[in-house]
Amino acid sequence: MKYILLMSGTKGGVDHYQAWSQKDIHAHMAVLHNINKRLTESGELVATQGLAGPNEAKVVRGEKNGIPVTDGVFPESKEFLLGYWIVDVASPERACAIAGQISGAPGPGGVPTNMAIEVRRFATFEQSGSK
Amino acid sequence: MKYILMMNTMKAGQGIPNWAVNDLQAHIAFMMNLNKDLRSSGELVSAEGLSFPDQARLVRAGKNGVPITDGVFPESKEFLAGFWIVDVDTPERAYAIAARASAAPGPGGAPLNMPIEVRPVMSAPPPEMM
Repeated sequence: MKYILLMSGTKGGVDHYQAWSQKDIHAHMAVLHNINKRLTESGELVATQGLAGPNEAKVVRGEKNGIPVTDGVFPESKEFLLGYWIVDVASPERACAIAGQISGAPGPGGVPTNMAIEVRRFATFEQSGSK
Repeated sequence: MKYILMMNTMKAGQGIPNWAVNDLQAHIAFMMNLNKDLRSSGELVSAEGLSFPDQARLVRAGKNGVPITDGVFPESKEFLAGFWIVDVDTPERAYAIAARASAAPGPGGAPLNMPIEVRPVMSAPPPEMM
């Protein structure tokens, strides 16, 4: 069964991350890189992506005269998706275990960030358009 | 360039299961048609719907490697209902696709005009972070 593991944070959190020391960022990325490598080897990794920062985010609603209505102003408290992992695993427990590993990636000074990772199962109804 | 189009929903607004069957069918037909067009144009990378928020879990790293899971969310939390990843020539094209998805029909066939969040996907972490 497929799950998506969503890593989210506020704009303030992203600014905070960008102020980490090079060494801390390096250690953080090395752990995530290693998790990805292991998931690739176990055949469980379907896809993983980081998203560009909230400053490039837009929200679109309907359209007027054929032109989409876009907005780029968000409340400070809004949570933005920072990145995700799609995994194909044998059980929900395994999806949560992987999320736990990601959550444990080190932050400043090597202390685990313990950031919350949202775990969601893919719906299986017909309109799911993956190929 | 790749973009992710995210369809979010409030927990309290997850009324889709209560829609009339023909409204639901019209909504699904609209989405399937959108996906078909994006596949024909070669712009669709992937599209998925997610299961409802009652199955969502928040996970944090625990001690001794045991994940700590939580399924309680604030009423106001926005949940991802589904997403499209598209590979398009311009941001404007991504916005146009999002606008089309936003106008998917709801109850009585009226466009939902739901907000779709559009974000560029990073191709890889910056080399200095690897």
